[in-house]
Amino acid sequence: MRQFQLVLLSWLLGCAFVTAQNKQILYDFTEIPQALMINPGMSTDFQWYAGIPALSGISFQAGSSGLTVNDLFADDGVDFNVKVRERAIYGMSTRDELNGTYQVELLNGGFRGRNRDNFYSFGIYNEGDAIGYWFKDYAILAFEGNADQLGRKFDVGHLKTRGEMLNVFHFGINKRVDGALTIGARAKVYSSVFNFSSTKNKGYFVTNQGQNNILSHTFVADMELRSSGLNEIEDALDNDSSLLPGIITRRMFFGGDLGFGIDLGFTYKLNKQTVITGSLLDLGFVYSSTDVKNYTIKGNATVEGIEVILPDAFSNSNDDFWQNLVDEVDALVPHGTNNNSYISFRPTKLYGSIRHNWGKTFKQNMDCDCNYMVSKRRDYTKYANGIGGQLYVINRPRGPQAALTAFYLRRFGRALALKTTYTVDKFSWSNIGLGLNLQAGPVNIYVMADNLLAYRNLADSHYSSFQLGLNIISWGKK
Amino acid sequence: MKNKILLLSFILLALYSCIETQNFDQYDDLEIIPTVEASILYVESPERIINESVGQYFYSQDFNFDAFTFDAFADRVLDGSIFFEIDNTTSKEFKPTVEFLDEDGNTIDTIDFPVQPSAPTPLYRRQVPYGPGKQRSIEIIKNTSSIKVSVLIEDNSSVSNLPDPKIIFRSSGKFRVRLK
Repeated sequence: MRQFQLVLLSWLLGCAFVTAQNKQILYDFTEIPQALMINPGMSTDFQWYAGIPALSGISFQAGSSGLTVNDLFADDGVDFNVKVRERAIYGMSTRDELNGTYQVELLNGGFRGRNRDNFYSFGIYNEGDAIGYWFKDYAILAFEGNADQLGRKFDVGHLKTRGEMLNVFHFGINKRVDGALTIGARAKVYSSVFNFSSTKNKGYFVTNQGQNNILSHTFVADMELRSSGLNEIEDALDNDSSLLPGIITRRMFFGGDLGFGIDLGFTYKLNKQTVITGSLLDLGFVYSSTDVKNYTIKGNATVEGIEVILPDAFSNSNDDFWQNLVDEVDALVPHGTNNNSYISFRPTKLYGSIRHNWGKTFKQNMDCDCNYMVSKRRDYTKYANGIGGQLYVINRPRGPQAALTAFYLRRFGRALALKTTYTVDKFSWSNIGLGLNLQAGPVNIYVMADNLLAYRNLADSHYSSFQLGLNIISWGKK
Repeated sequence: MKNKILLLSFILLALYSCIETQNFDQYDDLEIIPTVEASILYVESPERIINESVGQYFYSQDFNFDAFTFDAFADRVLDGSIFFEIDNTTSKEFKPTVEFLDEDGNTIDTIDFPVQPSAPTPLYRRQVPYGPGKQRSIEIIKNTSSIKVSVLIEDNSSVSNLPDPKIIFRSSGKFRVRLK
């Protein structure tokens, strides 16, 4: 039970901080080193960069597709039970979700190799990700009960959730193939802190008119909740919470379950001013074998209460018919726990974009000694303006989730660049974002915020995100 | 100059952002009171069993029934009803009785049914409500640990001309339960 509470807590915490991981403002923002993290094949011209530890990349995102805080808690005089019933219980569908991600870079750096066409990057970041879909039939059953619902199947498959916290150690190579094409790949080792998932549940509960008795109740279930890393955390919380930081730190640095993944990406110039890009991120898995506890329930049973049919029942009249019924259901729908290892796949993400550049170009040669650009090649030429579209798709338990973005990028000299985005996804159709990148000598600072129109009333927002980072980028020697 | 404009824009944005007043105390008003129903007990006796008895036929049986005393139910049930159905296709009259017993076997409620006429007779249905404002207290349900069914039949010789004559006793419960 405690484990379920931990899962619930993790999920709620995840949901409190998160949403769909889309970093549409950062994507292909080539002035920012962290953009390499979402396209290892980004066209980049850094000599080297070093992120300020723990400050180089911080991002939080939070989203709820079906309901906002304001929908329930606005001081509007509407009865709270009515709001819950109309807006949550019956107002949301099973595709509505609470979902989110946070990332904190612990270390991030990059340098150009002896072959000037190659750029290497590496680092460590901590990530938490959680998603929970609206468990509609569970909610209806809890609020309404099964009375007067003859024939209605309550789908137990509405329970769909997953979440995890892990550290990611990565090393990436970015290679300029020629003047038109840049490709990149990143290898990742995942060190899992904890993981839980319950995504493939099937079955239903239904009450029908009974064949013998007044009612019959049928329960068909094939359900599983897999978890790893929660037992030890639970023990620490129960017995000595001072152990918790040590446990989490150990697991963050290879002391827990491990996994492997890759990122792939490219940038291709269709012509001097038009660029297409794409990337595939977190194509990987975590193998959970330590501190595993899985909960299962599988089978089907139909009961009509205690049934006594004479004269057969005379022979066992001393039996405990109630206990027999309970035992029978237990046998037909066995439930239990196991410690079987399992593989969980990471939420794979896909980005794609097309951008058209125009306006003033910025030469790579600078008279001063503050040129952080590494190459004089024309293919690194930057234009003052860029406009285009982006696609984002993430693999989720209920299938791929997509977002479309239109953006405009404006550079004000070398020191300042702005990117504004308009994004359409399941969370919002009015998501306008703004990102600012400031290059003050070697210091690079970026700040990004999403869904700005919702700032009029944050409590009524389905989605919000925030990103910031601080880097030192090379200058001087090329 | 551009930087100043941008800085000003961000400050304005920060000032522009706000949160309408939220009243989180409303959560205290939330009531989750589902109505649940389930079958309880089914007893079936064919007429030939009755006719095989010597003298009058008397059937009485205690059935352990822990569903009502589960904490999850007993602590939360508000009110509800027990539904009974008696289906008699035999040629006999009989008078059934249902008793609710507590953990110590004490009778805490007795439901006397009228004499059930011999077949053909319509299905007998009865609803017995429990709870505030009803004749019977919900405490009876909360404390019921077993159910005793008794039937006394004096005629053990007549034979019904209906096919497969039986006495069937059905029951179910329907209760409101406060989850929050």
